[in-house]
Amino acid sequence: MHFLAPALLLGLLAAVLPAIIHRIGRRHARPVRFAAMELLLRSEQEVSARRRLRDALLLVARTGLAMALPLAFARPFAEVRSDLPAVTGRSQSAVVVLDDSASMRRHARTGDGGTPFDAARAKARAVIEHLSPDSEIALVLASEGGVAPIAELSSDRARVRAALEAVPCSARRADFAAALRRATQILTSSTRADRLIYVATDLQAAGWDDVTPPAGPGAPQVVLLDASGGAPWTNRAVVALAAEPAPEEGAQGIAVVAEIANYAPEPVHNLGVTLALDGAEVARGFVDLPANGRARKRFVLTAAGGSAHEAEVSIDKDAFPLDDRRACLVEASRGLRVLIVDGDPRTVRTEDGAFFLEAALRAGGSGFSVTTILPDDMVGRDLSAFGAVFLANVNHPPAAAVPALIHYVEGGGGLFVSVGDRVDADAWNQSLKPILPQPLGLKRSAAALPGARAEGETVDLRPAERLAPIDRRHPLLSAFPARGDGLSSARFFQYMLLSPLPDAPGRQIVLRYESGAPALVEAEVGRGRVLLLTTTVDRAWTDLPIRPGFLPLIQEAARYLAGAPSGEAAAALTVGGKREIALEPDDRRIEIVPPSGDSRWLTPPAHGEARGRRAVTFSETDEPGFYRVRAARADGTVSERPDAAFVVNLDPRESDPARLPDDKRPDRAGAPAAGGAAPRRRLELWHSLGVAAIALVLLESMLTLRFRRGRVKG
Amino acid sequence: MPTLALDPQDIARLESMSVRARVIVEGAFAGLHANPHAGASIEFSEHKEYAPGDDIRRIDWKAVGRIDRYYLKRFEDETEMRTFLLLDSSASMGYGRTGPSKLAYASYLAAALAYLLAQQGDPAGLLLFDAGTRQYLPPRTRGGHIRDLLVALDAVYPAGRTEPGRALAHVAELAERRSLIVVFTDLLDAPADLADRLRQLRSRGHDVALFQILDPDEVALPFDEVTDFEAMEPDDARRLLVDPRDLAASFERESAALRERWRRICVEARVEYQFATTAEPPAEVLRAFLFARQRARR
Repeated sequence: MHFLAPALLLGLLAAVLPAIIHRIGRRHARPVRFAAMELLLRSEQEVSARRRLRDALLLVARTGLAMALPLAFARPFAEVRSDLPAVTGRSQSAVVVLDDSASMRRHARTGDGGTPFDAARAKARAVIEHLSPDSEIALVLASEGGVAPIAELSSDRARVRAALEAVPCSARRADFAAALRRATQILTSSTRADRLIYVATDLQAAGWDDVTPPAGPGAPQVVLLDASGGAPWTNRAVVALAAEPAPEEGAQGIAVVAEIANYAPEPVHNLGVTLALDGAEVARGFVDLPANGRARKRFVLTAAGGSAHEAEVSIDKDAFPLDDRRACLVEASRGLRVLIVDGDPRTVRTEDGAFFLEAALRAGGSGFSVTTILPDDMVGRDLSAFGAVFLANVNHPPAAAVPALIHYVEGGGGLFVSVGDRVDADAWNQSLKPILPQPLGLKRSAAALPGARAEGETVDLRPAERLAPIDRRHPLLSAFPARGDGLSSARFFQYMLLSPLPDAPGRQIVLRYESGAPALVEAEVGRGRVLLLTTTVDRAWTDLPIRPGFLPLIQEAARYLAGAPSGEAAAALTVGGKREIALEPDDRRIEIVPPSGDSRWLTPPAHGEARGRRAVTFSETDEPGFYRVRAARADGTVSERPDAAFVVNLDPRESDPARLPDDKRPDRAGAPAAGGAAPRRRLELWHSLGVAAIALVLLESMLTLRFRRGRVKG
Repeated sequence: MPTLALDPQDIARLESMSVRARVIVEGAFAGLHANPHAGASIEFSEHKEYAPGDDIRRIDWKAVGRIDRYYLKRFEDETEMRTFLLLDSSASMGYGRTGPSKLAYASYLAAALAYLLAQQGDPAGLLLFDAGTRQYLPPRTRGGHIRDLLVALDAVYPAGRTEPGRALAHVAELAERRSLIVVFTDLLDAPADLADRLRQLRSRGHDVALFQILDPDEVALPFDEVTDFEAMEPDDARRLLVDPRDLAASFERESAALRERWRRICVEARVEYQFATTAEPPAEVLRAFLFARQRARR
């Protein structure tokens, strides 16, 4: 035991006072010669046991009190073995980084029902309490985008403790690179020699990517506080979920495909997998998972078209239930209205420029409602009634129809443009420059058209152009097999080159020819989207229309153009992501209803209105699950915005229990081990002594009171 | 009852034992409407009221004519009672913190009784004892006897250990015919065989009266600070260092139990038991004793 004020221990001499007073009292006892000694001795015998006990207790209480007070004032403390690093005993500037990422919410195998987050918080609390009183502390959270509850160095220990206790564990991924940068930045304001960053974490490897330990002279020292409990953990998780058309079930067919990972050295057999649609369980199956491997589970169902459905796949629960489910929004084909502007009408139906296009859109109960008109009929036509407009080999749109077409696209409409012999590139480039993904260029002949007659002695023996391998990450192509079957066999004899443009946001090449020239280009225009196909949709320049990939390509293009009016690429976010929601003309405010039901109203900022783009951004996506969106209209009504609904899922990296390797630990990279060999912790004892003194005072008072009452009662 | 009884301190201030005896006796009889100098007797009456079975030849017809009630005449041996006054003069009887000691108080009572007996013409003897018989004055009726007896009582002092049993055994030898034996002691260290001695005296036809005299301190402990108590009698090394407040309640119970025990023993042995503290006026105690005797004879 050690003392902060050992001189006050001299007060312990007072401990002998009760005994001395007792003895002095006895020595000065008055002698009396008494006849009734027999009666006295009998009385003494009767009460002696009780009296001696009381006297002994009183002596102990008074002696204890006389010892406890000087002991407490001497501020005793003990140094006990501790799992805290020894450096905590030094006066310093410290930033405590608390790992509040999703993996910290799993149930640890410690047996006490706690989570690694509880353990991490306890370690952070111990550090805060153990630091010397003149140390300064700040508190930073390690989750991605997390805040710093105490963003400046503070000596107010109670405030830091209160902030620590108030931190909830998030569902976000860990981002230690950002947290350490923030901590280092906070410590730059300190002039102390000892500057430390304590990281209380479960040491999950995810989140430590791109971490560069602070280096250089005066760089803070990083100390890791292991809150994992030491035992490795295993996990099973739904790491991906996607919905795709299921043509085998018709136009309303949807396939929900879940990817399930097993992070354990043993395989898992017959793991239960459940699909819920709109909150109701609709299918259940089983899957076998290889050791440290993954498996896919595909559910096929039919759903009513016209609205999005909430699909959730869950597996049998394990110690980390947060990643045992994953959600997505699925939408069956809507009964879309599609307008085809046929720029090359023919009397022979099969030779009509829009024949294959119309056939593809009407095929197999797709649900599309197709209207075909001539270019001149565009004038005065209400385009907003159509989900998508296809311009097929149109010479150039009538001048009177151009403004309506541009307004249609910028207002959220979808436009598909295909070229051909009739297209006047210059006219297009002039009149529709604002919405064309790229200006049209020269026509290129890649090979002789099938059946073309040789001109003179020149014979074109060049092979036809084909498509380069497709990138299935684009939603338009996600339904195609990996090798692009159905599209790869198509031959392109002629196509139109596009004038080069610098890269611009919202514009991308979806399909390329083998030569590298763009085949299908996409551009976001305002709230709408435009797809430009640099060849024909009939057999004039290509045999694509007779290839198996043509039908799904056209149908997906129609759905794609009609189904994303806000221009968002996907309606799924990871926790902590931001969601931008475009307001419709009549929308005044947007209400976001998260899974917890605590809705939040958002109003578009004024500067957004000024630029003609009205949108709100929602960033409080801290709960995995479905987020509904409602809009307050100009007429005072509130209605659902199913098109803007979205889901939030856990970042799959949080499911991986891989532990941070020792060589990647920032506390073991270069710097000497923080602390030293024998970590010890100071345990203050004066509080206990104070409590003991109070208890002794109460005991002494109680004994004295009982003693006096006993005398009065006789 | 009106009383002219002086308290013990006043009695102690009187100059001689004969004066004290006279004052006590006068105080005792002050409320009885009878003159102790005009034929009053320690037995209070020379007659016994007639009861069926009594010999009618002994009826006092003069008394019948005077008070219209039947009384039997007593014989000489009944009316001339020899009395032995046994006074415990051991060291423990010397205790008296605020008033007269128990020995002094007992000597007042003995003197008063001796004086009263002398007035009646009854012979009274005195036996002072501690561990043995310290002084013995046999019962006589001659004129100077009462003076000798009062002088002896005036000169008594506390000393030695107490052995009341031996004194009773001695008096049993001395009392050849039916006598009244009055014992004054504190009974604090009385041996167990004292009760047997009392029964023996009763079985021999003697009347026995036992005065238990205690100091008020021996009834309820008055001390309020730590006290070193020592025994008073020689060869008794008992000591007790104690806070008397701790023992007060228990002591009071023990003292009451002691008195109750001796009262029961006396009742069972048909011995007159009289308790007194040295704070009570001796005349009151004497009167209570005489009343008790009167009731017993009826």
